Amino acid sequence: MSKSIIVAEQSEIIRKGLVYLVEALGLFRTIREVACASALDENIERFQPDVLILNPSMVSGNTLEVLKEKQNGEIKIAAIVYALFDDELMGLFDDVIMVSDTRQKIQKKINALLDKTPAKKNQKPEETLSVRELDVLKLLVKGMSNKEISDKLFISIHTVISHRKNITQKLNIKSVAGLTVYAILNEIISMDEVQ
Amino acid sequence: MKDIIISGRMKMADIISHDKRALVLLPRFGIEMGVGDKSVKDICNQKEIDTDFFLLMVNVFLNANYFPDRKLKSVDVDMLLLYLENSHKYYLEEKIPYLESLIEEFKKTVDHPATEQLDKFFKQYIIEVKDHLAYEDHTAFPYVAALSEQIKKNNPDISAVDYHIGVFEERHDNIEEKLSDLKSLLIKYFPPSNDRYIRIRILNELMDFEEDLINHARIEDKVLIPIVEHLEQKVN
Repeated sequence: MSKSIIVAEQSEIIRKGLVYLVEALGLFRTIREVACASALDENIERFQPDVLILNPSMVSGNTLEVLKEKQNGEIKIAAIVYALFDDELMGLFDDVIMVSDTRQKIQKKINALLDKTPAKKNQKPEETLSVRELDVLKLLVKGMSNKEISDKLFISIHTVISHRKNITQKLNIKSVAGLTVYAILNEIISMDEVQ
Repeated sequence: MKDIIISGRMKMADIISHDKRALVLLPRFGIEMGVGDKSVKDICNQKEIDTDFFLLMVNVFLNANYFPDRKLKSVDVDMLLLYLENSHKYYLEEKIPYLESLIEEFKKTVDHPATEQLDKFFKQYIIEVKDHLAYEDHTAFPYVAALSEQIKKNNPDISAVDYHIGVFEERHDNIEEKLSDLKSLLIKYFPPSNDRYIRIRILNELMDFEEDLINHARIEDKVLIPIVEHLEQKVN
């Protein structure tokens, strides 16, 4: 039990809550609280923590890059999140703790940070359609049924449905009528091809 | 004001100015603006609206997590139906014509072959919404009214009403779903054009209508359906 951790979070309720969960883990000898961004650097310098749980809103400029470089990647940093932050900033963290996470989930994440291989981060979902999905979309907006599409493309109905699901998820458009507008906008089909 | 439970002692004006969603509720109860400093209770008494019923509806409408179970039994079915019909009137007489005029303007402003398809999509959608509302107004609600009428009698005759609220539940599809498609198309996929403010106006209106429909559906699911199921149990 020689590890140390800093919990940097402005909200007292959330900070104390995290500290409580961290204490219960029994993994850390030193648990340090930081409530304002200005005290962050000094505390990291002094306590050389193994883990830092940090609210991304306390990050200014390239603090995080500098910190990682200085510590040679020795320090694992998790974000505590209850607001929207940009992807670039979030990419600098080793993991993300959501305020809505369960106790088990939070403790598992902190645990994983101490291992060499931190918990895998969520991959950003693909947004562009694959060639096959484009094929399905084309036939779909021409008014074909799942069965007709499956016959035409020599794939099972199940595969057609799965393509349709992916198309809807990627584009955030559910109805065929909406997909038709999308297809025309992106010149996937022309107006005359639409029924 | 979000996630606060509204009580009868609060000022009507405060409720509206803190949560604009409450704005559309007033005409559904026949309450006009110009409420002065009167409390919710004062206004309800003056308009002969049951305060508990008003509070129940406002809280279900404004708060997705509000469960009204305890208070459902005392709801006056005729008042509830009047409220629902007034909501439909607002959609048919105000929301839909306004959206139609906005889309018409968008079509004139934006020169792109896809606007024609968007217009077709929207017109089809309007037909679906009108069908949905007409079914409730002409089939589901008259059934509920007839059922509640029978129950007030000494010997309720259920054969007079050949319907079941389960049918309503099954048919109760999400009419707000396609609004979300329209939203995606306008936010993400229509290329930038000389449409500046009209697109903002449409999106504002789409989001407003979408939220209203979702809240409205919650009233039907959490208030209307449980009440009617309770009535049905009484006669069976």
